Amino acid sequence: MSLVENKKEWVIESKSRYFGLNLKEIYAYRHLLQRLVRKEFLINYQQTLLGPLWIVFSPLLTMITYVFVFNKIIGVSSGKLPPVLFYFSGIIVWNFFNDSFGSTSKTFRDNIGLFSKVYFPRLIVPFSQIITQLFRFLIQLILLIFILIYFMVFQGFEVKFSYLLLAIPFIMFTIGMISLSLGLIFSVLTAKYRDLANLVDMLMKVLMFITPVIYPMSSVSEDIRWFVQLNPLAPLFEFFRLCLLGDGIVSASQLLYSVGFMAITAFFAILIFNKQGSKLIDVI
Amino acid sequence: MTDSIIEVSNISKLYKLGTIGSGSLKRDLYNWWNTAVRKKEQTYDTIMENTDMDSQYLWALKDISFKIKDGEALGIIGSNGSGKSTLLKIISKIVQPTRGTITGRGRISSILEVGTGFHAELTGRENIYISGYTLGMSKFEIIEKFDEIVAFSGIEKFLDTPVKRYSSGMYVRLAFAVAAHLEPDILIVDEVLAVGDADFQKKCMGKMKDISNKNGRTILFVSHNLQAITNLCSRAIWLNKGKLMDDGNSAEVVENYIGSTKQDKNETAWDMAEQAPGNELVKLKSILINPVSEKANTYISVRTPVHIDVEFWCYIENCTLNINVTLLTETGECVFNIGTHNIVAKKGIMVLDTTIPGNLLNNANYTISLTVIKDNASLVYEFVDCASFDVEDIRENMTYFGKWEGIIRPEINSVLYIK
Repeated sequence: MSLVENKKEWVIESKSRYFGLNLKEIYAYRHLLQRLVRKEFLINYQQTLLGPLWIVFSPLLTMITYVFVFNKIIGVSSGKLPPVLFYFSGIIVWNFFNDSFGSTSKTFRDNIGLFSKVYFPRLIVPFSQIITQLFRFLIQLILLIFILIYFMVFQGFEVKFSYLLLAIPFIMFTIGMISLSLGLIFSVLTAKYRDLANLVDMLMKVLMFITPVIYPMSSVSEDIRWFVQLNPLAPLFEFFRLCLLGDGIVSASQLLYSVGFMAITAFFAILIFNKQGSKLIDVI
Repeated sequence: MTDSIIEVSNISKLYKLGTIGSGSLKRDLYNWWNTAVRKKEQTYDTIMENTDMDSQYLWALKDISFKIKDGEALGIIGSNGSGKSTLLKIISKIVQPTRGTITGRGRISSILEVGTGFHAELTGRENIYISGYTLGMSKFEIIEKFDEIVAFSGIEKFLDTPVKRYSSGMYVRLAFAVAAHLEPDILIVDEVLAVGDADFQKKCMGKMKDISNKNGRTILFVSHNLQAITNLCSRAIWLNKGKLMDDGNSAEVVENYIGSTKQDKNETAWDMAEQAPGNELVKLKSILINPVSEKANTYISVRTPVHIDVEFWCYIENCTLNINVTLLTETGECVFNIGTHNIVAKKGIMVLDTTIPGNLLNNANYTISLTVIKDNASLVYEFVDCASFDVEDIRENMTYFGKWEGIIRPEINSVLYIK
């Protein structure tokens, strides 16, 4: 018997399958995933003045602007919450969604040079982006908790923590999966039809305004609230504030709607990514 | 039981030419509707028959089949655009074939460029890890080989400097060091010898020989350096315009390949004297340059004698003529200058027949100039650079692949011994 017999067999075919998700292969490349996450942090904060401090500075600056413009000048209500807590929580969750989507949707466009020279499971790249964004979010979340503690100790702000806190990982998972799934779908679409990228940028800006980031659901009048609630992200944002800060309007059926949306987009994302991913190299 | 590690069967690859853009959404939807929903098999069969008509498509590879044995080193040769790189990309799982299947066993690593996965902002150390993982090394392998990689590249001092500050030589050395320490079952290498200096190329080849001979790994190697192919690989395949032309012993395949590129006779002829170079006294009719060999379809190599046959229209009489043949290198240096004996001029066709012996010229491009002289004294006409020919290289049992120095390369026996 030759040694060849002992080696793992593989087949390359002309047809790509819809259900070709190879988790074993992705696991084999876990160290690459880990290094890519590390790379994201290293290249973003090397040779910068403040380095990783930007992770907390940039949402803080956005928050200050929002408090000033939306709350003080325009007079948008922040519900029962202090404006600082309200906006900061909205901003960091939105940034997580927006940045995750933004980076994963450029998977093919930004990595075409690499993809055309070496094979590895392509999903590793969007996964590394999501994980990077999750780390950034966690750092920002810690800052949010410090701000919360400050408001509780010095401003007399009261929150009753409950078992609902345990739902936060679930919320972030759902948001992460939605952004990853949409990102994967659009990474394929924008690679093929480039002008879609412009449209996507614009849609993301619109999406922010129909998501309770800068206003609470409670301030949306009853007759158009259904419209905002069509957005599967809306219940998740409200639920996040309810869990951590104790204010938000959300129902179980709305959450189910969000999870259902996540499942459907994830399903399609995997189909499209598997089917088209290996063909895209010829097109880009 | 089979001993082939890769089995390529009927691989074809179709590329769409031209811009892929506006209107593609509509066409994609239409195609998808036809194939996926209506289950119509329109796809490639129709295109296959109409390739000549439909210039929008190009078969980069067409029905390629071959097997590679475990531990074999296979060279792939062919001119630019022959489909070599496409074939390697398909075997490396980077692009999908349009038709056909490949079955194989074991882990594949491909080096299609030097520095895959490198990021300019990261340090050498970071890049070793990220490139290693990208090329498919395991964590254990990288940790185990790390010091060896650093030593091989010789950049110890700059390990923690971003590679963007490296000189291009350092960058290439580090990048190759990572690739050279891959230990897959099958290694695919595309034209890496094209980069780097002679020293680096030697190092690359040495390392590849080690991988192939000592470790018994399977190698697929694409190169334009035919000497490197014959030296490293026992077997070679030759692709031309996506088709498999030849498959067999690498020296023979290389010879056939060079023979095919030189097959056209090196002959220049003028049918009408009015257009031919020259003056009212003498004009060039034809120049034929061919190798002297018993075999058909051979080419001029450093071994073969070169036969030069020139015909002139001669319009003068009552004088003697002789011709000087000057052989020049590409840079214009004179290799030699030989003269014929005198003949008595006569109106009609004058023939010059000369043969440069084998084992004299080096692997280079040579140019011929001819000077016609009357009565040993006055110049009749000088045909400057009227023909040129290439001399191909032949080397056996050599480990050096760089350009052989010297204007000529005569066969001179020399003996080295210790007294």
